[in-house]
Amino acid sequence: MTVIIKTDKLSRHYGKGNVMVKALDGVDLEIDSGEFTAIVGPSGSGKTTLLQLIGGLDKPTSGDVYLKGTKVSAMAPGALSDFRRDHIGFIFQAFNLIPVLTAQENVEYIMLLQNRPKAERHEKAMSILESVGLKDMASRRPAEMSGGQQQRVAVARALASEPDIILADEPTANLDSKTGADLIDLMKEFNEKSGVTFVFSTHDTKIMERAKRLVRLVDGRISEDIRQ
Amino acid sequence: MLNLKIAFRNLLRARRRSILTGLSMAFGYLLASLSLSLAEGSYAGIIDLFTRDHTGHVQIHKGDYLDRPSINKQIKNVDDLVARLDSAPQVVGVSPRILAPSLAYLGDKSVIANVIGIDPQREKNTTRLAEKLSKGSYLTGRPNADGYDIIMVGQGIVDSLKLNLGDELVLIGQGAEGSIANDVLVVGAIVGTKDSYEKQHIYMSRDAAERYLYMGGSAHEIAILTRDYADARPVADEITQQLSDPELSIDPWQVVEKTFYESMQADKMGNYVSVGLIMLMVSIGVLNTVLMSTLERTREFGLLKAIGTRPRQIFYMILTETVVLASFGSLAGAILALPINGYFTDHGILMPEPMEVGGIPFDRIVAEVSFVTMVLPALLVVVTAAMVALLPGIRAARVTPVRALGSF
Repeated sequence: MTVIIKTDKLSRHYGKGNVMVKALDGVDLEIDSGEFTAIVGPSGSGKTTLLQLIGGLDKPTSGDVYLKGTKVSAMAPGALSDFRRDHIGFIFQAFNLIPVLTAQENVEYIMLLQNRPKAERHEKAMSILESVGLKDMASRRPAEMSGGQQQRVAVARALASEPDIILADEPTANLDSKTGADLIDLMKEFNEKSGVTFVFSTHDTKIMERAKRLVRLVDGRISEDIRQ
Repeated sequence: MLNLKIAFRNLLRARRRSILTGLSMAFGYLLASLSLSLAEGSYAGIIDLFTRDHTGHVQIHKGDYLDRPSINKQIKNVDDLVARLDSAPQVVGVSPRILAPSLAYLGDKSVIANVIGIDPQREKNTTRLAEKLSKGSYLTGRPNADGYDIIMVGQGIVDSLKLNLGDELVLIGQGAEGSIANDVLVVGAIVGTKDSYEKQHIYMSRDAAERYLYMGGSAHEIAILTRDYADARPVADEITQQLSDPELSIDPWQVVEKTFYESMQADKMGNYVSVGLIMLMVSIGVLNTVLMSTLERTREFGLLKAIGTRPRQIFYMILTETVVLASFGSLAGAILALPINGYFTDHGILMPEPMEVGGIPFDRIVAEVSFVTMVLPALLVVVTAAMVALLPGIRAARVTPVRALGSF
């Protein structure tokens, strides 16, 4: 297994002086390609901050993030956009689909950014939607779908760009427990079938049980790292 | 295509707001188009009236005659030149003229007169002189039964000398050879009004003027009428190339009637300022809409950036939406403006009191349907809207995903 994500003394501090909050404090973490990892911990432990820094959505106060050996924490904004587009898939807590686009178009959008031909985009979007069980809902807009369906579209969108890593921040937080568990099973299925690396945060113990590796954060530091 | 789809759907998302903004753009277009249409139509009418009254669209003179007139600055071989000009495709009328200031006497009264020798038929084909007779008959070019040459006299001279048709008028001036020119002529017609351009003019046939001034086949001016006054400059350039005579000055009406042209341009500028103010009003409405729309969608822009959309692409997305809305607004404006402009083009607006432009009465404002009046307002609306969208577009492009999304 090759290391696909590496953080080196990663820190992210907010505020200054007495009001400074250390959201992350010197995190050293290595995740191998193909892992299915859950970042767990109580609220405010730094789960979201860690995912944001890994995903290049935020800059660390100190330390570095390497994805596939590339130092993303030092990349210019334009290059970082392209890197995210081609190598990272995101699944958000609040689904965050583009409201004016249908399920199929939401999945196609990221492939449009990759300049893929229309026919290929269309075919692939339909194929992924079929694999997440939403082929019949391809022409529906997010407002016409349930939360669970929207989140499955988000999974499909994250997979569409054929990324190396998919980062999911509390993907089940807005779903009922059964739908949440189904979603994690779906993610796991893709992880096992396609080998794409999944890193997701959660504080739901039932969801944690499904992860192959648990990284527990407390006060911005790794307190536990268990491979199940 | 997907970007265009996103633009359309985002506009439809806040349907009421888009319709209101589109209507404000349509209204802006309508005002701008109507304003330009009436202005351009009026300018076209005034210029046509002015140039067809006496100037023509292009004039030929010898050297600097236009600035420093002299009886000795003559265009030679006029008939050959006129024949060559007649064959030019865009030329519809050519009128050679002999010009000379003189003194006109009747009994013990005298008055300064501008004597103009014309070829009656050619002048009739080039200007509206023949339509401006208040009494008598237009020149035939032939003397009367007693052998006297016939003249047409401006109303100003008629009033000063208390002239009547059939009166014999004595003219004294400087002849071409430096000698004293004098002749007795008979009043055959009265031209114009006491305020019109020709009030101090005396028109006679070119033959009569040649005899009076010893011109010997020369002229001082050739007025040329083209198919359209707008063609004056290219036609003047073409004739200059064709004749390639460095001694001749060939000028469009914009140069010949410089003061008139400059006053028209100043008036046009004033109108453009009004159109600019209309666009400013439209732009405030558009700015409000685009700003609201981008603020509401901050989270969405954060998402788009997070998944790999480049800032430039988000900027173009905002710009596309605005341009699409402005295009529809302009289209709606054009649908409204076309019949209104068309109506005023056909019927015009009758002025309660006619105004005088360069001595020519102008009593009706007529609109015009053209590129300037239909396409320019659309370009103005679209460009103004696009410019207004720049700031919100930049703001949207600069959104930080982490801040915009709240979590993640």
